[in-house]
Amino acid sequence: MAINSDQDIVLARQKGRAMAAELGFLSGDATLIATAISELARNIVTYAGKGHITLKGIQNSSHVGILVVASDHGPGIPDIPQALRDGFSTSGSLGLGLPGVRRLMDEFEITSQPSRGTTVAVKKWKQ
Amino acid sequence: MKMAAGRKKRPQASLEEEYASLLREYAAGGGEATLGRAYELGRRAIAERKSLLDLASIHHGALRALAQDTNNGKGREDVLRASADFLAECMSPYEMAQRGFQDAVRALRQLNETLEQEIKRIAYAVHDEAGQLLVAVHLALADMARELPKPQQEQLGRIKGLLNEVEKHLRRYSHELRPTILDDLGWIPAIRFLAEGISKRANLPIHIQARISGRLPGPAETALYRIVQESLNNAVKHAKARNIWIRAWRENQVLHCSIRDDGEGFDTHRAQGTPGRKGLGLIAMQERVSAIGGTLRIQSGPGQGTEISLRLPLETEHVNSCRAR
Repeated sequence: MAINSDQDIVLARQKGRAMAAELGFLSGDATLIATAISELARNIVTYAGKGHITLKGIQNSSHVGILVVASDHGPGIPDIPQALRDGFSTSGSLGLGLPGVRRLMDEFEITSQPSRGTTVAVKKWKQ
Repeated sequence: MKMAAGRKKRPQASLEEEYASLLREYAAGGGEATLGRAYELGRRAIAERKSLLDLASIHHGALRALAQDTNNGKGREDVLRASADFLAECMSPYEMAQRGFQDAVRALRQLNETLEQEIKRIAYAVHDEAGQLLVAVHLALADMARELPKPQQEQLGRIKGLLNEVEKHLRRYSHELRPTILDDLGWIPAIRFLAEGISKRANLPIHIQARISGRLPGPAETALYRIVQESLNNAVKHAKARNIWIRAWRENQVLHCSIRDDGEGFDTHRAQGTPGRKGLGLIAMQERVSAIGGTLRIQSGPGQGTEISLRLPLETEHVNSCRAR
């Protein structure tokens, strides 16, 4: 779904939470998934203005899980390791933003090209 | 559009007011949009340095006000359920931050170990390698002295005297960095050696009473040594103590160690609450103790001296986990 505004973020969170519940995640984990979606959507709105988030139920040999992919065609991230380092300047506290998303989810993948955009794909598996 | 206008107005409202009004909105069926704002509110609470306990008390106040307005049983049930979801959403940013801090603590512990290894390496280089070089210089000078006339021999003698001073200093620096006794004989003899040096230099008595035998795992001995070292330095440098007492004993399966002085003392709440140098030293001490599974208590007050009390459970399990680190 397209992410252009606050309303879109709400919609993405709602769909993520509903899908998590459908897949059998506990409500605490569903909250964390909604949190990750918020942070990813927030990044899209702040840095790229607009982008997309897609949600998908997934399955490996032993677990079901959820895949969240956030992509945009914004300016991209010139220094990914730096973006994943905890800092106080942008978010006001250690652990928020992308590094926070990485800790909330089980798998985290990011690709970015300057002036081409950024894609972040995260997975959480049901325990 | 309505929402955007609402958001512009909101930053002026206090956190308490916004929490209460959003909770009310959510209980009345605000849905995901309100939850999304609850999440942003949690983020704002972190930015405003509210503690998790502050948030709990804000939540309690808002919930109480809401419950008072809700008279019938069914409505109360809904309010309770809604408020649980709402609180979880608000606390979610704290969960993220907490995971960040856990990672930071792990990194800090690793850094401590790396530092200790570095110190060991430097102490060894200063003591052994520089020491051997000095011996070679001494031998070369002795060779040279034999062929020199008397006045130059006397000059050489003075140089030798200076070299001996250099050697003495190097040895002392090396032992203060990391006494070999700590590895060879254990933390109690190392502390006795350390106290002896400090006592002489600062000209104050350090009374040691240690009824303990046997060795502890390496990381625990190092941590104990560093904590006593830091406490002694604090007592001498900042507290202007006239006496220091060190006691170590074992009670059942718990090791106790206390470092007490009769110096100026300080306000413990203020020191630990402020991020200044003094507070940092105390926090670092706490961290060292908790890394080996112990606890630290700091008792002090202006004019009352200071006592650092350390408690370390010595279960076999703990000893093993220490070794594994």
